[in-house]
Amino acid sequence: MAAIELDGVTKRFEDVTAVSDLSLTVEEGEVFGFLGPNGAGKSTTINVLLDFVRPTSGTVTVLGHDAREESIAVRERTGVLPEGFDVYDRLTGRAHVEFAVDSKEVDVDPDAVLERVGLADAADRKAGGYSKGMRQRLALAMALVGDPDLLILDEPSSGLDPAGAKEMREIVLSEADRGTTVFFSSHILEQVEAVCDRVGILRGGELVAVDSIDGLRGASDADATLHITVGAAVGDDLLAELRGLTGVSSVDRDGDDALRVGCDSDAKTTVVTTLEDDGIPVDDFSTQEASLEDLFLAYTEDDGAVADSPDDGEAGAKVDDDHHETDDTAENAEVSR
Amino acid sequence: MSWQAVARKEFRDAIRSRWLHGSTLFFALFIGGAAALFFGVLIGPDGRQVSNLFGFFANLGVFSFSFPGLLALVLGFIALSTSYGSITGERETGSIKLLLSLPNSRLDAMIGKFLGRSAVVVAALLVGFLVAFAVLIATGTRLELGSFVPQVALTALLGMAFVSIGLGISALASSNREATLATMGLYLVFAVLWGSVSEGIPKLLNYAAEQAGMGALAVATRVQIGVFLKYLNPLKAYETLAAQLYYGAAQARLVSATFGEQNALGPIFQESIPFYFSGWFLFAILLAWIVLPVAVGYWAFERADL
Repeated sequence: MAAIELDGVTKRFEDVTAVSDLSLTVEEGEVFGFLGPNGAGKSTTINVLLDFVRPTSGTVTVLGHDAREESIAVRERTGVLPEGFDVYDRLTGRAHVEFAVDSKEVDVDPDAVLERVGLADAADRKAGGYSKGMRQRLALAMALVGDPDLLILDEPSSGLDPAGAKEMREIVLSEADRGTTVFFSSHILEQVEAVCDRVGILRGGELVAVDSIDGLRGASDADATLHITVGAAVGDDLLAELRGLTGVSSVDRDGDDALRVGCDSDAKTTVVTTLEDDGIPVDDFSTQEASLEDLFLAYTEDDGAVADSPDDGEAGAKVDDDHHETDDTAENAEVSR
Repeated sequence: MSWQAVARKEFRDAIRSRWLHGSTLFFALFIGGAAALFFGVLIGPDGRQVSNLFGFFANLGVFSFSFPGLLALVLGFIALSTSYGSITGERETGSIKLLLSLPNSRLDAMIGKFLGRSAVVVAALLVGFLVAFAVLIATGTRLELGSFVPQVALTALLGMAFVSIGLGISALASSNREATLATMGLYLVFAVLWGSVSEGIPKLLNYAAEQAGMGALAVATRVQIGVFLKYLNPLKAYETLAAQLYYGAAQARLVSATFGEQNALGPIFQESIPFYFSGWFLFAILLAWIVLPVAVGYWAFERADL
């Protein structure tokens, strides 16, 4: 059975269409990442799932229940970390979790849940004194009460430091291991890559892609970047020849002794062979797969704008080696946010 | 049904607010202090009975004053202040997303908020009455419990009516600012304008009837319409019911009436009180003010996008 089924959902506010004819199915047990720039309609979609807002048209089914008519049944089995929420300033952390326990009518020890999100020490403090990250954890604790079948997390790591974001990922993964369906939105792309089975990319209220990360890579025109250190200068003719090769989208000099080549992976060998055939010694080369950011931009900006411009600011910040270093970039990206 | 969870949350939240602490202290000083002043200082031992304060009515014909009326004004203000931000405030901070992402329906939210905030107001009020009660005992005042206890209950109901009105406004308003303005405006209507408007409407009707060639309305009819409209005000309904506890039905309807009203209504009430001026009818008005604002608020809240 599908955990979430959106069929032709449109939501118009007075003068804006926030979500337009959105159809999407998330299977049970799946970890689904919902990506898109701010204002793309992610939160509106999530608000529709929770009956916070009502769709203008279309049907929404969550855990087999109609999201509008049977919202209570939906929320009884769903844990939610909303976006743009706030805590009750005068209530302690424990009182918040007790409120969740009371509302869900379950028998759960609030302290155990607080322990799990790392708030045990702050349980007796008023939540009004919590930092942004602590508020986020507190809401997560409330969401986890009663072991929900579905977790809906809207921008879960906003306000968290890198360690907090990592813990959040670990909790998401352990929930997924338990069989919980996880639906979460983010504009922090590396997070999605780290935990998601599939992602959906939303742009301007429309779903522009739904696939696994690998599938998206294959389908998008955000190619891998090949970084080649050469032993001799490369002439303009050769550069032109390289650009003419099948599968190569861009070739640029990177100083006197290096080249950046945007190409699909099949073309890598051809590029290197062509260089060597022309008497240019290849000292070293490394490839960098298209980062999720490239993919993301490729889908959310004008087609092809990304892969062809390795020198722009976004691409320049990328790691220069294999993509295992992407994790570091992820941490850096979060710090800077 | 998880309205209990919401009510408990509301109570726990509101009970920690400084506004409530202030209100409780105020009730203790106001009700307790008035009792101490009246029965400890002003009134000699012979006159020490509850009705001399809690049933205190002074009527100068055009202007009337009563202790229940004053208490009602203050209570109305405090109860409105306790509830008017209960939904708009949560909307503006975003805590309503926590409230409604849990399996609480919007009906649970309304009922829970109404009961939680009512409990808080009633608790503060009861503290005031308890202090007064201690003063009554200490000064050896005749208690007249048969009137005093129902009056406490009536006062609590009035508090709930204004909690309901504030909550209704909060559900209808789209921002805290809007709710604040609407609450202030409505309070002004209840406290100041209602009486004049009630007296004005029969005059208008009379004028309209004359213009339409139907002739002037009988004075008794005009006065009855005006008084009926006045009783629709929860403050007035409460004040009249409180007077009835001490002075009986007919007298209670005249203690704060103008001379004109007394002249017109006195003879009518001598025979019998029409059902639309009866105690039960006034009580029904008070109950309607408890139920209707919450109901209207729920109706709007249920349809709204957050």
